[in-house]
Amino acid sequence: MTRTVLVVEDGTEYVDAMRSLASRDPVELVRAADVHEARRTIADRRVDAVFLDVVFDRTPPEKLAGDLEAQIRRFGGDRSRAERHLAENQGFYVLNELAGILPATTPVVIAYDFSVEPDRLAALRRAHPNLSGLPDGTPISEVLGRLLGEVTSGDTPGAPPGPPRTSRGRWR
Amino acid sequence: MTGGFALALSVLAALGPSGSERCPDDATALAQEAETLLASGTDPAALERARRLYRRVRILCPSPDFLLRAADLACVAGDEEECGDLLSEVAEADGDLVTPADRMLLARRAESRRAWREAISHYVALGKATRDASLKAWAGDRIRRLEVDAEAQSIAAPSAAPPPPEARRALGQARRAVAAGDLASAREKLELARRLSPGYVEAALALAALETREGRVAEAVRAYREALAGDPGRFEALVGLANVLWDEPDRAAKEEALTLTDRAIAARPDATELLKVSATRWADFGDAPKALARLDAYRRRAGAAEKRATESLRETLARRVDSLLAGEPAAEEPEIPELSSPAIDEWKVAQAYFRRGDPDSLAAALDHLREAERLDPTFARAPELAGAIHERRGDLSLAQKAYERAVAADPARAGTYERLALLLARQPGKEQEADEAWASAEQAGSSEALFHLAASALRQGQRGEALALYRRYLAESPGGLHTEEVTKAVEKLETRRRALWAAGGGAAAVLLVAAAVVAWRRRTGRTFEQWIRAQPEGARDARPIVGRLRHEVVKHGGLLLADAARKLSEADPETRRRTATLLRTRLFGAPGTRGLLAESSDAFDRLEALARKDGVRLDLVHRDPLFSPIARASRILRRTQASLARIEQDGTMAGSVESLERAATLLRSTSGPRMSRLLDEASSTLVRAEDLRSILEDVGAEKASGGSPSFEWSGPDVVAVRIDRADWETIWRNLFANALEAGPEGRLGVFAELARDAVTGTPVARFVLADDVAGALTSDMIRGRAADRGWGVVADLVRRHDGVVEVVPPPAGGYRKGIRIDLPALEPEVPA
Repeated sequence: MTRTVLVVEDGTEYVDAMRSLASRDPVELVRAADVHEARRTIADRRVDAVFLDVVFDRTPPEKLAGDLEAQIRRFGGDRSRAERHLAENQGFYVLNELAGILPATTPVVIAYDFSVEPDRLAALRRAHPNLSGLPDGTPISEVLGRLLGEVTSGDTPGAPPGPPRTSRGRWR
Repeated sequence: MTGGFALALSVLAALGPSGSERCPDDATALAQEAETLLASGTDPAALERARRLYRRVRILCPSPDFLLRAADLACVAGDEEECGDLLSEVAEADGDLVTPADRMLLARRAESRRAWREAISHYVALGKATRDASLKAWAGDRIRRLEVDAEAQSIAAPSAAPPPPEARRALGQARRAVAAGDLASAREKLELARRLSPGYVEAALALAALETREGRVAEAVRAYREALAGDPGRFEALVGLANVLWDEPDRAAKEEALTLTDRAIAARPDATELLKVSATRWADFGDAPKALARLDAYRRRAGAAEKRATESLRETLARRVDSLLAGEPAAEEPEIPELSSPAIDEWKVAQAYFRRGDPDSLAAALDHLREAERLDPTFARAPELAGAIHERRGDLSLAQKAYERAVAADPARAGTYERLALLLARQPGKEQEADEAWASAEQAGSSEALFHLAASALRQGQRGEALALYRRYLAESPGGLHTEEVTKAVEKLETRRRALWAAGGGAAAVLLVAAAVVAWRRRTGRTFEQWIRAQPEGARDARPIVGRLRHEVVKHGGLLLADAARKLSEADPETRRRTATLLRTRLFGAPGTRGLLAESSDAFDRLEALARKDGVRLDLVHRDPLFSPIARASRILRRTQASLARIEQDGTMAGSVESLERAATLLRSTSGPRMSRLLDEASSTLVRAEDLRSILEDVGAEKASGGSPSFEWSGPDVVAVRIDRADWETIWRNLFANALEAGPEGRLGVFAELARDAVTGTPVARFVLADDVAGALTSDMIRGRAADRGWGVVADLVRRHDGVVEVVPPPAGGYRKGIRIDLPALEPEVPA
């Protein structure tokens, strides 16, 4: 059975790289340029896994996920700073909005290296149990493996997340 | 002491007819009554009664004879206090009446009270009065010792403990603001530095330079005086204040300028040029003999050319007398808190011996300094003075060691580095070490160091570097000793630079200079970590650049390169062609998108530009363990352009596989998380309850409200917040000040917790400040247009550090208002 991977990114870098360097059957790659397209895709078809880019600096502000007005208030009326914050963290805002419509079991990989922030990943996994990060240096061929549950080491989407590791570290 | 009651009647007899002429009869009668009483017996009761009678006598007739008699009785009665007081009065009224034994008693008494000058005067009188040669000699020795103590007593204790890192950071920010021409911001940061560390000499000096530059003479003078109060021997302050005062029209200011110049010459005998400056100033002041003495001293050290150049000046000196207006009295010395150290007394005595300068005194000074260092190893002035003494004795090796001890005791003291650098510069073969010491002096805030570093760069042919340093010197020390010389040097270097660029035939020279600059840069640039740890305020602007570099270059490069290399080595030409096209687009860009290599070089350029604003030259390419792998990978990838084009054209292998694999390996070796962690660590502040309590106490003391609110803390023992300490403290100073104004006696509580952003999962340190004072507070009052100064500062600083400030419902426990401050926190460290 063909499996569908939704790639949410503002350009085509990931989806092109996956197609050119890591394509395989039976996997279909579907790209969504923003949260709205992602929502539509999920509403229209079954999605087996989701890959999220983090920075969406080519997306028009009005198409960004997240409450822009709340961010403007947060940054003391500085609209450009609020927009920049949303763009630079857009992958997390998209993840937040998709959480309500995506089955909790759907593997999600976000293009962020959590290797020095395990508690942050643990916190995010409370809302998205099948979330995993993408350590720097991971080749694109491995990304699909992670999404489809073929890679079992590291932050594998299919692996049980375990309890939150809130007391793992200490303040320096 | 004059003992023996048999003398009593002779006292009265001496007063006899002439005495009765001077004193009322009542006095004599009372004295007679006392003496009669004593003649019948010297039991304590009779003695006490006689003393009372003599007290009345003294009121009626304060004759030295009666005083002496009363003193005798006080001594016999064992009342040392009155005995001494009366003997002192006698000595003052008629020294001849006091015997050597009395002198001894008075001298000892003065010594016990640390009244050294008074003790000396008694020993001098003792020496004169006694015929005993050995006593005379003993008194002489004693006087010499006491003179040292007296001199030591007159030496002011050093002020100001070493400045805390936050103050040093604020000074660094101020210097960078000066370099950027943002004088208002510089002033703000300098005021912060001085507030954090009252008596911080470098901050006062920097402020003085700023005021001088802006023509605010009174303020410049005040700041220089503050610097001198903190460090009376500081060369830069002496010269700076002298220069500012000399430009004033009034004669008193000029006179003080002359004194200061002479002090500067004494502090730094190597500053030969200053002798000439002093000579011309004394001449202008109208004191030709002093001018000539200084000019002659200058000429003795000057070369033939300088002698010729000053020949006519010497001839005309005596004739040059200007009449100047008399002026205002000198300004009051500012009050600076004194440094508290158990070593200070020993150091002061050593200072006094050092000023004498003879070999025995210098040896004695070293003894005292050894004791001072033993008493307080952190008291840097002791080894620093020891260094100066060793230097004077010609023992340069011991001097160097002493200065190094001083540096270890207080690494923030620019003056010590300056002395060390000057010492090293005097020794052949130690030029490199001297430059390093000057560099440390510059880091500690010395403008003088800029001059020497520029001269060193010039000697090494680094004209661009020299020019930059000279320009900084002029910006930071407009009234400095070398201003004239530096101005000329800058003009010369700029002229040379223009000529070099204008001359087309000078290409070879340009290449040579460029090669030298490259070599210099490779040898001397700073790493990213060195920069950001030294100047963590750069982290805020560096963070988005590093974030983008991580994402666009490290992550995307890692994703692409290894797989692309594998695909290129496959047999299918079409696959190779497609892969080459993808790589070319990603690496070198396409219409509308920037390539990975452009992202990389842009990030490097922006980081280097940021550091340059801080006066730091980064070498990310050659020396940086975090960034050089990216630079090397970029270099390798740039060279693949032609081979990728050939593969795209005909699909044949063109030898780029190995390059791609090498670049992939290099990018994998780069630690993006380490870069981000470094930025976070460098720009974070550890927050504890006692820090906030201490800020509250400071604010309470400053406001002198008389109130003392209770303070409650609830939260983790320590929280790491991503904000620099100076801004953190400013926020809480303002919050507490507002709270104390509203209710000086109220209750204050701070409730801290570590939370996480619900969407991004990033850690947030949340602080709620609550009080139990009535009155409304809204978020608009804090952040709105009408925010008054204190609230405006809080809102601005919190926002600047990506935080949030808002009014929240008060926590339970009787509180009535609450303000919440959220700031980014650091992730707990992951154990290795």
